[in-house]
Amino acid sequence: MVLLQFLGRTGTVIDDLLNDFLAETAEILSEAGGALVAWEADPADRAQLDAIFRLVHTIKGSSGFLSLPRVTALSHAAEDALDQVRRGKREANSALVTGVLGIVDRLNILCAALGKDGVEPTGDDSDVIAALGEQAASTETRYEVAGVPLRRDDDFQAELQSWRSIRVPLPLLDSVMTGVTDIVLARNEFARMLRESGASATVIASFDRLSDSIAGMRQSVSQMRMQRIDKLFAPLPRIVRDLAQDMGKKIAFQTSGGEVELDREMMENIRDPLIHIVRNAIDHGIEALEDRVAAGKDITATISVSARQSGNQIEIEIRDDGRGMSPDALVAKAIASRAITAAEARALSPKDKLELVFRPGFSTAAKITEVSGRGVGMDIVKANVEKIGGVVELRNDEGRGLSILLRVPMTLTIISGLMVRAAGQYFAIPRGAVREILLENGDTVRIDRVGGGELAMVRGEQYPLLRLETVLGRAASDDDDIDDRALVIVRPGQGQSYALSVAAIHDHEELVIKPAAPMIMATGLYAGTTLPDNGRPVLLLDVQGLVAAAAIDATEAGRNHDQIVAAEAQANAARNAAQLLLFRDTNGRVRGVRLSVIERVEDVPASALFESAGRVQAQIGDDIFAVHAAKLPETEGSLKLLRLYDGHSVLCYPIAEVIDIVRLPDAVQPSAAPGLIAGVVLVGGDPVELIDPFWLMAQYAAGAAAPVPHQPLCRLADDHDGWGDNFLAPILRSAGYRVLSGSEDADEAPDVLLCLTEDGASCTHSGEEIPVIRLRSAIAATGPDDETVYRYDRQALLDALARRVGGGWA
Amino acid sequence: MMEKLYLIARIADTRVALRSRAINSVVTVGTPVEVPGAPPHVAGLFALRSRVFTLIDPHVVIGLPPVPVAPGQRVIVVDVADHGYALLADEIEDVCFIDAPETRVAGKLLPGWARVADAMIEHEGASLLVVDPSHFITLPVMKAA
Repeated sequence: MVLLQFLGRTGTVIDDLLNDFLAETAEILSEAGGALVAWEADPADRAQLDAIFRLVHTIKGSSGFLSLPRVTALSHAAEDALDQVRRGKREANSALVTGVLGIVDRLNILCAALGKDGVEPTGDDSDVIAALGEQAASTETRYEVAGVPLRRDDDFQAELQSWRSIRVPLPLLDSVMTGVTDIVLARNEFARMLRESGASATVIASFDRLSDSIAGMRQSVSQMRMQRIDKLFAPLPRIVRDLAQDMGKKIAFQTSGGEVELDREMMENIRDPLIHIVRNAIDHGIEALEDRVAAGKDITATISVSARQSGNQIEIEIRDDGRGMSPDALVAKAIASRAITAAEARALSPKDKLELVFRPGFSTAAKITEVSGRGVGMDIVKANVEKIGGVVELRNDEGRGLSILLRVPMTLTIISGLMVRAAGQYFAIPRGAVREILLENGDTVRIDRVGGGELAMVRGEQYPLLRLETVLGRAASDDDDIDDRALVIVRPGQGQSYALSVAAIHDHEELVIKPAAPMIMATGLYAGTTLPDNGRPVLLLDVQGLVAAAAIDATEAGRNHDQIVAAEAQANAARNAAQLLLFRDTNGRVRGVRLSVIERVEDVPASALFESAGRVQAQIGDDIFAVHAAKLPETEGSLKLLRLYDGHSVLCYPIAEVIDIVRLPDAVQPSAAPGLIAGVVLVGGDPVELIDPFWLMAQYAAGAAAPVPHQPLCRLADDHDGWGDNFLAPILRSAGYRVLSGSEDADEAPDVLLCLTEDGASCTHSGEEIPVIRLRSAIAATGPDDETVYRYDRQALLDALARRVGGGWA
Repeated sequence: MMEKLYLIARIADTRVALRSRAINSVVTVGTPVEVPGAPPHVAGLFALRSRVFTLIDPHVVIGLPPVPVAPGQRVIVVDVADHGYALLADEIEDVCFIDAPETRVAGKLLPGWARVADAMIEHEGASLLVVDPSHFITLPVMKAA
């Protein structure tokens, strides 16, 4: 940032003004670059144009005041050109944008020089101004008046808003942060001394008050350091545009999540990795136009950068829809460059193959290009991100794109840490990486020694076990109590976990983390140092580094295969196991019924129940259902009905209340004779009568009138005397058939024809496809070949119907 | 005048002169906190005025066996590349002006000393090595291996 270069030169008012101007201009220019590219993509976006105009206008205004003629002339030229567009006198095109971007670049150079020397360097800018002018000359013939109102008043509102905030040099902010951390550390030391001295309660109380306000201040300062991540995204559109143009690719670039805030120190550390990844995506990821067409993809490629906060971490995803990475190509390249041997390559998992890209000096580009094959590879990206405690993840979809995920902590300076003891000294573990803490001797933990290694089984999950003493190369301290030993389940990154065995868990504290000396960081075991309340330095463990140091594979994938299968089987078993609905009967007895036969529990008013044909029935909605009750309940108000459903019909069983749903015990004491109660089971030590839904439904099956999907249609033919309509039809209907008497017309063809007379003429010329049943009036059949059915033989008639067309309930 | 100010101390069993502008302060330490896995010349960490310092044992840098840190031992605090270090000193003698010019190191030194010594200086009838504290911070490559 330009700002850093001129901080030493404060003193005069003009210097201060110049500093402010430079800081502001640097910010404006980076913003303008992004805005210009966005505007180029959508020249109709009036708001974007206005914003750019305002930015340039602001630079012109301030530079005029500071008498910087070159800056003024440049910004004036750009403002002029943009104003013509605003007035519709000039068309927005990529030539214009290129011209304005040229001016932005020149302004950047001037500002850098200004920051260094304090004076505007002499020089000639007529080239860039002329470039902008030439475009104007060539396009001026296309005079168009846009119907957009000029909104010059808006231009100055943004400037007014800037009064709500002030500009603070970053080093000043950093020194405030350092100061506050020192105060926190001094407070910790003071707190310890106060405890040791046995100070009076009043002293302690006022110290606590001081402590609280320091904590509040620390919080505010941490917030001051937070910046919106769109600052980080601002230069990207410009980079994408220029690069895409150079390489003849068409790329749509999107960012999202710009409102996510990140500590500015973190931001500095991921700026270069981010830019590098985006450049890589354009250079290597996105195919040439013809290749995209051949692959059946949209000619315009998409690169999107999105940020989101998840807990104490920020996730930044860079996704492209290019060709992705080819694991085999990576391997071939790694072998060619002798990074690995062919034998090693064969042992690599697909994920390992992708990770080859993080090897130092590895470049995926088939040929070194100007853009990204510069020896600065993904290894640097990974190193930079890991330096600040972050993780880089690859999600490859070969042929369809690559997405790279950067996961970084929101802030590193103050974290919540878990203090643990090992080899007689304390270490801190970032609380965010700790998933669970267990006592090593606890019931839920089993430790297996397998081929010299150790595994911890925690509730059926398997973790590689690291003993902190072993990783650190120390012996366990003699003072340690074996019962204190604890397992910390650590999750250093997505898809990784291991169990860290420590001598004891101490407590957790808010810790101010400072980087340790380079040779200590170089061990890869530590992420920094901290000073807790006791005043003795504590090392913060690098939970990711421990994995590498111990050379274990902490990836979770495939580790718990048997457990997964077992767990699935168990879950399936649990799902399949019958469940029992426990309820209290209307006469107060506790009974149970298999949950699966219950369709639902209805709450109905007592008045919905009525007695009909000696049976209690319930009206629920538009339906009438049989109720299992000898007489109408005498209760007023509402009552509960269990709706039993066997797939065809519904039976309601009145209950007083539902008690619980439990697993159906395996042991059932069956009752002696079939009846309502199938048997008795013990639930929680109490006997429960088990309802037999089979018996229950059998009692009411005949009377139940639930519709079946298809009811065959019977046509009554030759019903001359109405016998069919009056006597036969009700029987057929209650047996589940629809009946059509002779005189009625129907849209659909009948499934069966019932001829009520032995010689009915209408039956003879009916279609051949329709089966016919003839009824006779005589009881006796005329002979063995007589297929007619006696008209009062209900069973024979229904059987005949069922044989011919199926359906019915008989 | 600062150029002529030297700290005379005995480190790694040898009397040396350290240019005073390279030195932050001289303090005493308690028991340092060990750093498992660190290079052998790192004798531990200690806190001083809310800062964590890395304690360096010059014996190891010179190629001698490490010495245990005695509580109350004096150390020479130096800042190198924004990190605070402290060199264990066997003895702190004096801070004094030495008018004599620094001269080229004559004679053959042990390899360890040859690496850290910048020059020699004449003081009270004895030749002292002028050493640069920052040279003690990094171990020679062969040592680290």
